Amino acid sequence: MIDLLVIGAGLSGLVAAQTAADAGLRVRIISKGLNALHWSAGTVDVLGYLPDVGTPVEAPLGAVESLQRPEHPYRRLGRQRVEAVLSDFVSLSQRLALPYKGAAAQGINLLLPSPAGAARPSFLAPEAQHNGNLREQSPMLIVGFHRLRDFYPELIAENLSRQGYQARAAFLPIALITDRDDFNTVQLAGAVERPEHVQRLGKALQRLARPGERIGLPAMLGMERHNEVMAQLQKTTGATIFEIPTLPPSVPGIRLFRRLQEHLRQSGVRVEAGMEAIGASTSGRPPRVDWVATETSARPLRHRARYFLLATGGILGGGFASDHTGRVREVVFDLPLSVPQRRNSWFRTSFLDPRGHPVFEGGVRVNDAGQPVDEDGHILYENLWAAGDVLAGADPIQERSLEGIAIATGAAAGQSIVATHTAVNGTSAVPNGAAATSSTRNSS
Amino acid sequence: MKRIDTEILVIGGGATGTGVAWDAVLRGFDVVLVERRDLTHGTSGRYHGLLHSGGRYAVKDPHGAEECIVENQILRRTHAHCIEDTSGFFVVTPEDELSDYPQRFQKACKEIGIPCMEIPLREAFRREPLLNPSISRVFEVPDASADSFLAAHSTVNAARELGARILTYHEVTDLLLEGADGDRRVVGARVYDEVDGQEVEIRARMVINAAGAWSGKIAAMGGAEVTILPSKGTMVAMNHRVVNTVVNRCHMPSDGDIIVPSHTVAVLGTTSITVADPEHLKIHAWEVQKMLDEAEKMVPGISQARALRAWAGVRPLYQERYEGGGRDVTRGLTLLDHKKRDGVAGLLTITGGKWTTFRLMAEATMDSACEQMGVQRPCRTATTPVPGVDQGHYWLGHRLHDVESERLQGELVCECELVTRAMVESAVRHNPTLTIDDLRRDVRLGKGPCQGGFCTYRAVGILHEMRQRGSWKGAMGDDEASPARWEAAYLQSPAHAAHEDGVESESDAQEAETPPFVPNLLLRDFLQERWKGVVPILWGQQLRQERLDELIYLSLMNADHLPDAELASPVTAFYHFDVTVRAEEPAHD
Repeated sequence: MIDLLVIGAGLSGLVAAQTAADAGLRVRIISKGLNALHWSAGTVDVLGYLPDVGTPVEAPLGAVESLQRPEHPYRRLGRQRVEAVLSDFVSLSQRLALPYKGAAAQGINLLLPSPAGAARPSFLAPEAQHNGNLREQSPMLIVGFHRLRDFYPELIAENLSRQGYQARAAFLPIALITDRDDFNTVQLAGAVERPEHVQRLGKALQRLARPGERIGLPAMLGMERHNEVMAQLQKTTGATIFEIPTLPPSVPGIRLFRRLQEHLRQSGVRVEAGMEAIGASTSGRPPRVDWVATETSARPLRHRARYFLLATGGILGGGFASDHTGRVREVVFDLPLSVPQRRNSWFRTSFLDPRGHPVFEGGVRVNDAGQPVDEDGHILYENLWAAGDVLAGADPIQERSLEGIAIATGAAAGQSIVATHTAVNGTSAVPNGAAATSSTRNSS
Repeated sequence: MKRIDTEILVIGGGATGTGVAWDAVLRGFDVVLVERRDLTHGTSGRYHGLLHSGGRYAVKDPHGAEECIVENQILRRTHAHCIEDTSGFFVVTPEDELSDYPQRFQKACKEIGIPCMEIPLREAFRREPLLNPSISRVFEVPDASADSFLAAHSTVNAARELGARILTYHEVTDLLLEGADGDRRVVGARVYDEVDGQEVEIRARMVINAAGAWSGKIAAMGGAEVTILPSKGTMVAMNHRVVNTVVNRCHMPSDGDIIVPSHTVAVLGTTSITVADPEHLKIHAWEVQKMLDEAEKMVPGISQARALRAWAGVRPLYQERYEGGGRDVTRGLTLLDHKKRDGVAGLLTITGGKWTTFRLMAEATMDSACEQMGVQRPCRTATTPVPGVDQGHYWLGHRLHDVESERLQGELVCECELVTRAMVESAVRHNPTLTIDDLRRDVRLGKGPCQGGFCTYRAVGILHEMRQRGSWKGAMGDDEASPARWEAAYLQSPAHAAHEDGVESESDAQEAETPPFVPNLLLRDFLQERWKGVVPILWGQQLRQERLDELIYLSLMNADHLPDAELASPVTAFYHFDVTVRAEEPAHD
C-alpha cells in the first residue's frame, strides 16, 4: 500500500507530493486532468492586493500578519513558515533548471508586464519574466508577431508608457518561426527551438532593438530547450530578453508543470491523469478515509493509502461542484464548505469589484496542520489533509496569491503528513523501494 | 449647433425603425435615422429570434397570425440570408393531452392559411431525437430562426446605399414643435451626439417615432400621451443546439413554452411581466428556473445542460387611453397618427407588433406619412430584396465551411463562434463601433461558452491596432474608405472578410488622431457587459468557466489595474445596472 495519495496534480498537490517523497514516503498522484498552471502566467504570485480592500501590497510576507481574516491560509501558517517554504521552492526550481527569482530588494513584489500592459505584482518569477521587472529602469521594446492572436505589443507598450515605463512596440512576421496556418503559443514554443529559427529570430530582433533596450517577447521562447533559446537570443542581440505571458495555453506554466512532473517521476512518484476522484469510503471512530474511488473509461478503481491529500482545486479546478439551487459541494469527500449556499449572495454587481465575489472565497476549513475540520474545529478524518485552492479564507485570484497559497499550503500539508508518519513509525521514515533510491540520488 | 435637413426623420434603430428607413428611402424620400445606442440595442436585439409562422397566435389572435404568415413568406424572399429555415414543431406533451387545443390549433391554421401538417411521431423523433418521448402529436409549421442583428444591418445597409443617413449613438433630447395648441406641428428633433458630445438639430417633414418601448417618452416630447406597457420577456441561451427545429408547446401561448435553435445555441423563452422601466430589466432567479423547468417538458434533460446566458427584452405593448383614437390599423401593430389623435401634425408613432411584422409596420407607417404629406408613392419593400439574399438561407455549417475551405483556423479571434480577425476588422470598418458589444451584435463575438474569456482581449488588441493605423475612428465607421461592394451579409462570412482588401501591413505605431476610443475602457465595458448576462445562470460548469475568465483578466492581465479606470462610455452605467441574482417571487402581473 502506498503511504500518500494526492488527489489533484496542481501546484499544491505536486509540491506536497515532492515534500513527502523527499522524506521517503511512497506517494501517488491521481488527477482528473491537468491544472491551472496551463492557464496562468507561470509566476509565483504570493500576495498582490489585500483581500476585501484591494490595496496594493509591496511586501507580501510582511503583509501576512496584517491579514484581517483569521482563517486565511497565510495567517494560519504564519510568516516564517510561508517564507521558509517559498525559499524551499526557489531551491527546488534551481534543481529543475528553471530558476525562480525574487526582487533584488528582499521581500518586495516584482512588477511584471501583463499581456494588457498592466504591472502584475508577483513575488517570484522564472528568469525570463524576471528580466521584465518594471522596477528596473531600462527602456523596453515589446515585439509581437503578425497574426499571433494572443499577444498585442502595441497595447502593452501604450499602457506601459502611460504608467511611466519607457516602452515601444514592433512586429515581426510569424514566418520567422513557423509556416503553419494554425498555431498557438505551445506550438510556437516548440517551433522556435529549431536552431535556424532562433538564429533568424535573433537577427531580426537585433535589427529592431536600439542600444540599451531590453526586448520583451510573448512567452513562447522554447519549451524543453527554453534556457538555450534564451541564451542564444541574448547572445545574438546583445540585449536582455524577457517574456511576457500570453493568453492560455501558458508556456511558462507548462514548463514548470513538466519539470515538476519529471522531478517527481525521478523520485518514484507517478502522476496519473484521467482519473477523476468521485467519492471515498470512510470508517471507524475517529473516522478515517479507507479509499478513494475514481472513475475511468475502463473501470472504477479504489485507491487505498495511509494518508490522503485533497488538492482538487476549488471551483476553478473542479474540486467543487455547484448547482442552480445555490448548493456548492466538495466532490470527493463531501466536506463542509464555507461557501455561501445561496446564489443571491454569490456575486457582486461589478465584475472587477476589488472585494471579489463571495462564492469564490469560501472553501474547506482546516486546522493548523492543514486537516479539514468541522465548524467547531474537530478533525473530520484522521488521515485527510487539504491544500491549495480548496481551502477556505482566501480568493487567490482576487488577491493574486494563487501560486503562493498553493506552494505554502501544499508544502505545509506535506510536512504535516511526514511528521504524522514519523510519529506513527517511531523515528524517521525508512526509505525503501524506488522512492528511496531516487530520493537518495536527488539529495546527493 | 450642427444642423441637418431631411424629409423623413426616423427615431429608433431597431427592426421597426430600420424597416421604416428602408421603406422611406425606397419610396424616394431623403431619410435620417437616429438611434441613441447601437442598432438593435433595444428589443430587436433581445428577443428569441423566431420568425413566426403565425402558429403561435393562430388560436388566440387570428388576425395577428395572418399578418405573420404573410410576412413570413415575404421575408424569406427579401431577407433570405437572415433566416435559417429550421421549420417549426408544435408538440402535444402529456400535460396538453386533455385539452381540445390541438384541434382548435389545426382548425385555426387551416382557416388563416398557415401550412400545418401533422407528422408521424417516428419522423418527428428521427428529426429531433431529444424530444420528450411521451409527446403524443406533432404538427409542423413554417416557423424559422431569424437573425435580427443581421437583418437590421442588411436593411440599414440597403437604405444607406440609397442615401439614407444612419446616426447611431444619437439620442433625441427634444422634438421641435411649431404652431399653437390644436394646430401644432413637429418639424424635427434635437439630438445629442454621444460620441462627439455635441447637439444636432435635425429638421424633417415627418418624424417617425419607432422607439419601441421608449416611444411613449418620444411622443410626450411632441405633447402627445402614448401609454406603453413595457412587458418583459426573459430568455436563456443553452450551450448546445439541442434541437434543430423550433419547438413550441401546442397549447395556449404561455411562459417558457418555446425553444428556438439560433446559430450555435438554443434559446429558451420566455416570460411576460409588466415592468415600470424598459431600460433596466432585472432577471429573477425564478424566471430562469421557469424557463428550464418548462423546456424540460419538451426536451427532458435540457435543464442539466449548460446555460450560457440570460437576458431580457421588452415588448412595447400599447394601451390606448383615448376612445376612438386613431389606432388599430391591425390588432398586431399600432400606428398612431398624432395629427388625427392629438392635433399634432408631422409625427407618427409605430409600436406593438413583432419582429416578424417589422416590414408591414414600416409599410403602414409610410403609407400614412405619404397620406399626410399629400403624396402617392407605393411601398416597394415586399418585392425588393436587400443585398445578401443571393447567399440563400443561413445554415449552421456556413462559418465552419468557410473557415475550413479557406484554412482560416489560425485567424480565429473567437473560437466559440468562429469569428476571424478579418471579420472583426471588416465590421469595424463598415459599421459604427463604439464598444466591443457593438461588435458582438455584428459578428457574434463573445456569444459562445467562454462568454468573452478569450476574444475580449483579442478584440481590444485588434481595435487598438486599427486605431493606431487610423482605420478605426470609433462610432462612425469609415464608409468612404470601404469597398463599394460590401454587403452586411459579409458580417457573418469568414470567407468574404478574408478576401476583403485593405490588409494591414507593418506599423509605425503613431499617435492616434482620435483619442476618445480607449482600449482599456473597451475591455472593462465588455467584461462587465458579459458579466451582467451570465450572473443569472452562473452555476456548475459555467461558474467554473467564469472563474477561468477571472484568472485571465485578474491574475494574468491585471485588467483591474490598467489606466483610465475613471473613464466611462455612454453604456458603462447601463452594464452595471441590475446585476444581481434575485430570488424574490414574481411581481404582480
